[in-house]
This record gives sequence, structure tokens and C-alpha cells, in this order.
Amino acid sequence: MILIISTCKEQLSELEFVEPIKRMVDEFIIKRFDNITKDDLIKAEKIIICGTALKDFDYLETNWNWIETYDKPLLGICAGAQVIGKAYGIHLKYEINIGQQKVETIKPNVLCDGEFNAYFLHTKNVEGLETIATSQGKPCILKHPKKEHYAVIFHPEVMCSNIIRNFLK
Amino acid sequence: MNLGILYSGGKDSTLALMKAQKYHKVVCLISIVSENKESFMFHTPNIDITLLQSQAMEIPLVRVTTKGEKESELADLKKAIKDAKTRFKIDGVVTGAVHSTYQASRIQKICRELDLWCFNPLWLKDQVELLKEVVSEKIHAIIGGVFAEPFDESYLGKEIDGRMIAKLSKLHNPAGEGGEIETTVLNAPVFHKKIVITKSSQEFKNYAGTYNIDDARLEPK
Repeated sequence: MILIISTCKEQLSELEFVEPIKRMVDEFIIKRFDNITKDDLIKAEKIIICGTALKDFDYLETNWNWIETYDKPLLGICAGAQVIGKAYGIHLKYEINIGQQKVETIKPNVLCDGEFNAYFLHTKNVEGLETIATSQGKPCILKHPKKEHYAVIFHPEVMCSNIIRNFLK
Repeated sequence: MNLGILYSGGKDSTLALMKAQKYHKVVCLISIVSENKESFMFHTPNIDITLLQSQAMEIPLVRVTTKGEKESELADLKKAIKDAKTRFKIDGVVTGAVHSTYQASRIQKICRELDLWCFNPLWLKDQVELLKEVVSEKIHAIIGGVFAEPFDESYLGKEIDGRMIAKLSKLHNPAGEGGEIETTVLNAPVFHKKIVITKSSQEFKNYAGTYNIDDARLEPK
């Protein structure tokens, strides 16, 4: 079972940021960021933390410390990537990026390889974990050095859903 | 939240409007009338029908005309959204965008510049599922324009129903995401009155044509 975590303050945003992820997963439960229980974390084989609207920052007010001690695979998308950074004590950098950009894989990994286009929609970036892909010279996919915790700054569900499929394998 | 919707009068923006209304108040429609038939952003046959749709839904319309040149049409869109923000105190904008990152990213940038929320409730939806939802939500949409192979004249003015979905499902973009078809909504649960076409005409040449609504009126449902 996959735990899909919504970072959306507004339910209307979930149609845009959570529904597309849900359609790619066979067995899942969906929980809002402020309603996750210990039991949810124990039951989940893997976790995906979804993105949210550009104007939404409520998710950053929540305690995400459980990520630090969570050892199973975790994929954070955009806002999800930011909370992974936050959990590991990384300062989030202001950086506005909206639209398509080329991504270059710089380290062998299970999510992606080579060059591809991706859709970016964010105002904060994460730096400080191991960089496995960059865009315009800046990290855009990061990984914890010891755990399968991935922070993807762009929205792979839009143009590169194989990243999510590879994570789910 | 008070929301404005980018409204072209077609199936997608009507379905997006109905979804937005489940959570927020849609206080105005925002329509861009493009004089450029090649516009990627805004060209829509029968865009004038939004005047009647606005009356039918009892939701005011913010309407801006653009020459449809690449950069100026974005400035005109921003002007329309800014106008909606001033007049109707909107907190955000809803769009019927499904797959176009070209359109979505431009609208996201404008919303960001105007400090508005941006909602795309149909984003990445499967196109056949979208068509089925249009029918199941009782949105009465007709094909107002076709712009690619293999379409012929017989599609013009036809309703999106189960039989039409079966035909469209065989195509690369069943819901017309690549601009292959454009639709016009004549009735929906959100309409207090229905639109009845009293005069129409057709144009068709080289797999492209339009069903023009030359005259229409509102009637009780």
C-alpha cells in the first residue's frame, strides 16, 4: 500500500496535484499533511508527498520530523521536496520557476536517466542533499545519501511520469 | 474564496466551473475575445455566446478583446484578470486547462504577479474520462469547430453524447486537447436558462470548419 500525502490547503487544489498521482497508483490511501498517524506510516510500503498551488505554504507550518526517522522509500514532489529538505534541516531557497525546462541526470539512479523535459512550478528550492539531476545548473532531483528518500523539485506527473512509475517499482 | 473563471464557453471551462463551485464561490466569468484565428491561447469559435451564457448562469462576465499577437494577448489576459480582481474582489482564478503546459504556465505566471490563487481542476485528466464526465454531469455541449483530420462537416453542431464519445475515443486527442475540436455549451446544471440556437451557418474546408451560432436566445429549462 502506498501512502499519498496531500500538502494542499484547498481541496480544489487536490484535483490538480493529488488526483494525477492517485491515478498512477494501484493500492493507496490518501491523507492530508496535518492528519498523518503513526499507523499510516507503519502500514505504508512507500510514501509520495504531492505538490500544491504556488500560493499555498500552510504545509510548511506542520511538523515533518517523522521523515528523519522514516526508513522506507519516500518521494517528495515540489512542496513534498521542500518538506523533505525541511525535515533534514536544509534551508529552503527562494527561487521562482514556472514552465518547461530541460533536466540532466548527473548520477546513476533508479528514477531517471539522460536528458528530458520537465514542468516546473515552484517558488522555493532545496539544496544540500545528494544531487542526482540538475536543470540550468541547479539541483532538481536530490536524494538522501543513505535512504531512498527523493526530493523532486519539478512535477514529474506532468511530463515525466516514468519517474513516479520507477519509484513505485 | 471568491473565484473568477477563464471561460471560453466550451465543455472544459464549464466542467471546471462546476467543480470549483463545489468548494468556492465563482463570482465572475473572464472571457478573452481574440481577433487572431491562429492564437494558441484564446481562439474560440462562438466566443460571443459567453454573453448569453453569463446571463444563463447569472454570473457576471469580464470580457476583453485582444488582437491575439503572441505577447500582447498575455498582457490583455493579465488586464482582464486584474480587472476581475478589482471589480469582483477575486482571490483566485480557475481554468479548464488539461494538458497544455504552454497555457497553464502563462496563466500561473499572471496569477503569481497578481497575487492570486490558480486552480486547474481538470489538470492531467484522461481525455475520454473528461468527455464521459461532461455527459454524466449533464453538460449539453455541441461541436462548434473542427480543425484537423479526420473531421468532416458531419461533426459540426453535433452534441457530445455517448455515441460521439465512442467516435472521438479513436482519435489521438479525443477531447480536442491539441485544438482539434472546440465545443460550445448550450445548457448545464449551472445554467438557470438554456440557450436555444435560432440561426446558424457552417463553413468547412480542408478538414477545418466552424458551426457558427448567428443568433440564439435564452429559454426556460
